[in-house]
Amino acid sequence: MEKILTKKALPQWLIKLNAYQIYAPVKKENHWSYEALDKPESIRLDHLNTIQSPKMIIFPQREVFFEFHNAEGNTLVMKEPASESSATVIFGVRPCDAAGVTHQDKVFDGHFKDLYYWKRRNQTILVGLACNTPPSPHCFCLSVGGSPHSTAGFDILMTELEDSYYVESFSKKGDTLISLAGDIFSTPKENDKKDKEKAHSDSEKKLKRHIKDLETVPPKLKDMFDSPLWEEESLSCIQCGICTYLCPTCHCFDINDEKDSSSPLSGKRVRTWDNCQFPDFTMHSSGHNPRPDRASRLRQRIMHKFNYFVTNYKAYQCTGCGRCIDKCPVGIDIIEVLEKVRDYGK
Amino acid sequence: MVALEDLKQEAKNVLEGGTVKYIIGYKKPAVGFMAVPAFFHKPEDLDALVWDPTCVHNLVLFLKDEKKKKLGQKEPDERPVGIVVKGCDSRAVNVLLQENYIDRENVYILGVSCGKTGMVDLKKVRKYFKGKIISQIDFNENESFTVTTTEGKVEVPAADIFAVRCTECITASPVIHDVLLGGDSVRTPENPFGSLEEMESKSQGQKWDFWQEQLTKCIRCYACRSICPMCYCDECVVDTINFAVYPDTPAEEKAQKIKWVEKSPTTSENFIYHMVRAIHLAGRCVDCAECERACPMDIPLRFLNKKLEKESKKLFDYDVGYDTEIPSLISSFRDEDPEDFIR
Amino acid sequence: MENNHYIPKVARIINIKNEVEGARAIKTFRTQFAGDDGFTHACGQSAMLSVLGKGESMISISSSPIEAEYLQFSVLKTGRVTSALHEMKVGDMIGIRGPYGNGFPIDKWTGKNLIFIGGGIGLAPIWSVLQTALGKKSDYGNLTLIYGSRTSKDLVFKEELRGIKQEMAVHLSVDNEEDRWEEYVGFVPNNLLDKNPSPENAVAITCGPPIMIKFVIKNLQDLGFKDDQIYTTVENKMKCGIGICGRCNIGPHYVCKDGPIYSWAELKKLPQEY
Repeated sequence: MEKILTKKALPQWLIKLNAYQIYAPVKKENHWSYEALDKPESIRLDHLNTIQSPKMIIFPQREVFFEFHNAEGNTLVMKEPASESSATVIFGVRPCDAAGVTHQDKVFDGHFKDLYYWKRRNQTILVGLACNTPPSPHCFCLSVGGSPHSTAGFDILMTELEDSYYVESFSKKGDTLISLAGDIFSTPKENDKKDKEKAHSDSEKKLKRHIKDLETVPPKLKDMFDSPLWEEESLSCIQCGICTYLCPTCHCFDINDEKDSSSPLSGKRVRTWDNCQFPDFTMHSSGHNPRPDRASRLRQRIMHKFNYFVTNYKAYQCTGCGRCIDKCPVGIDIIEVLEKVRDYGK
Repeated sequence: MVALEDLKQEAKNVLEGGTVKYIIGYKKPAVGFMAVPAFFHKPEDLDALVWDPTCVHNLVLFLKDEKKKKLGQKEPDERPVGIVVKGCDSRAVNVLLQENYIDRENVYILGVSCGKTGMVDLKKVRKYFKGKIISQIDFNENESFTVTTTEGKVEVPAADIFAVRCTECITASPVIHDVLLGGDSVRTPENPFGSLEEMESKSQGQKWDFWQEQLTKCIRCYACRSICPMCYCDECVVDTINFAVYPDTPAEEKAQKIKWVEKSPTTSENFIYHMVRAIHLAGRCVDCAECERACPMDIPLRFLNKKLEKESKKLFDYDVGYDTEIPSLISSFRDEDPEDFIR
Repeated sequence: MENNHYIPKVARIINIKNEVEGARAIKTFRTQFAGDDGFTHACGQSAMLSVLGKGESMISISSSPIEAEYLQFSVLKTGRVTSALHEMKVGDMIGIRGPYGNGFPIDKWTGKNLIFIGGGIGLAPIWSVLQTALGKKSDYGNLTLIYGSRTSKDLVFKEELRGIKQEMAVHLSVDNEEDRWEEYVGFVPNNLLDKNPSPENAVAITCGPPIMIKFVIKNLQDLGFKDDQIYTTVENKMKCGIGICGRCNIGPHYVCKDGPIYSWAELKKLPQEY
């Protein structure tokens, strides 16, 4: 389904979607972030990259698996939390972030299905916005199989035209969203379509960062496990979790029991994000750590994204959003690291 | 003002002569204009060394890695590490010396003076130059910076783009050094704790609301802890395990490690994390404000540490990082201290 | 939710045996599910044991699948969860989810001589396949166990070892001389060379501390065993057990799901990150 929505009518559309929980990018003092939108008229779609991707909504940083109680008479009671999630629309999603969701889908849909993830995922509708101009100076989606107007993962993709949006739906869920406010949409004219296509092709030219010949990196990485490059590139790494926590594709997590403060016999089993840059991520109880240093952890991050994930899922586990580059406190630049891998030994 | 060529020459002298094993300094990033930490192992690499108002990092942080690396080596290279150090950073060196974490002979200090200005705040720069592509920022002799964009060079008053902490700095030149470049620069800011005033004027309820909102944002990436030169403990309340575990550590010891803070980034757990960190930095924080700069969620962490710095000054007349011979504030008690609960 | 892999089934501890006392204590637990559990495992698989309030720990199942009455776990006390397990009594309830992992390819071993080489707690994962082979003795050739630990007190399954001596070759060892110790003195890899098993029509299965495994594999190769005749198990820190949480990987493999059993031919191709 393809439609035109005037910019002025955007809030009206959102008002019609009042049965859904709506998240949209909200401008803060120094950044943008996804927040529940309470006033449809406050919607703005001129956002730069949000600090966190919509991963934070579909795969929240904290999730209760079940509540437990060690009851009298040696019985264990385990109870799943009551369902709190309702049908959700995430508005203004950038194509790189939607691609991130598709990568997470692959991981949580393996031999064992992660029902907590799918419960939320199946209720989520992604309404995207093509990037007519790159939302970050470090965008490099074109180099990792994406594009500023990629439709992967979207139910709907909107492209900004002069004073309207070109709205394309790719799923039944997307069609439903449009039909809920059918009368405010119009049928695109031939020149609308041309404008959209021009916006798309122009947007590709505006990307400033690229990795040439990235396809040579995965096979090369297979022989670089013991390379001194990892030590060199990780010298300034401080082992924080910024790159992985902000990454739209990183999915690693921890599971812990949290006791209630009121009773040591009751508590919750909780999933929280975890990441491969923390030293305790792989440390055995004995103190042995298979990844004992910065170099082995940076290697794991690069290997996972550009070697192991490629082996397992035939895709880079990176969507080129540039967050890890922009936010690294010590300037570690994944593009630079990949280029060094590519050129290593040349 | 520091002449970059002089700094390079000093660095080259000690690296070439083998006085130091390597030098920690700054270089330009692959893309962008904010300098990044760099490790120089060969004299010819030093051509890439830079010194400008974007050298925000407190490189003293990397002495932690150096110490840990040496502990793991059978025959470590005992030569010092060369390190480029600003005024605030130099006080961090002093605190580590005071706490006997490092020895003076472990480090060769290439002190650089910030002159009349200081370091830029990237957020302010981005706002000021909205959308423009910046390639370089330089110091000037006066209180301004020269910013080079694709549209040419502009002189910007320092006050418009430099870090708040630098406006309150009283040590723009290193207080400890082996060589000093750029000369002594004495600063007497009108109100070294001025940035706290607005917060201090708030009511308790307003403060609570403010910090509740701020700390709820925390994603517990621990960048604030990881980038802090003072956060060097093997055992930290927020970690799920103690890193000082050896094959003969008894199971009981590991099993009984108290979980002070859950991994969940809930408001209450985040409060405990940040409060514990702030208290542990009282009398140790040198206001390099790297925690706040590193925070991806824009939490104004400097407030917490600056407030405790002010309290230390007010209650105990304690200045951080000047005197390595006096006992550290949080591990000492004096008769004239105002509270007597510890007696 | 149906088929929620993260919710354990409740099981009762029906028997606890103290295998090893002291700082590196080992206890063997037998557990039974309350009702029909639908839990069927293969030799070498593991299960995630829960002590609610403490957490979970991945432990190999040391009982044979042919033993339908109970599941058996031998647990070395080493951290938060295992220490809590060691505090438990008969009748207490624990959570169990699984089974996880690939298991030993015992179907391929019909008619072959099996040589089991274990060290310390490393006998536990081997025990299920050893018991299975003993239970169907006619399916296999000669069975040999080479097993040792630091001292005779650190040997697990002491009684059971005496029992199986009637049915198969058992060669024990301790690291140093001890009073009244009449068997081999020295490390397990050396005992292996001393017993000199033939690689002909044989499969060697080894588990123990990483350093022991390393030398056992080297010595097996010296004895003429080919890489695909050597099987071992890998251990890494695990949380989800189902190949998602991302911490137990060695290369593209998740040990919880794709391992923990590897032939040396497979394992040597993977990065040494375990």
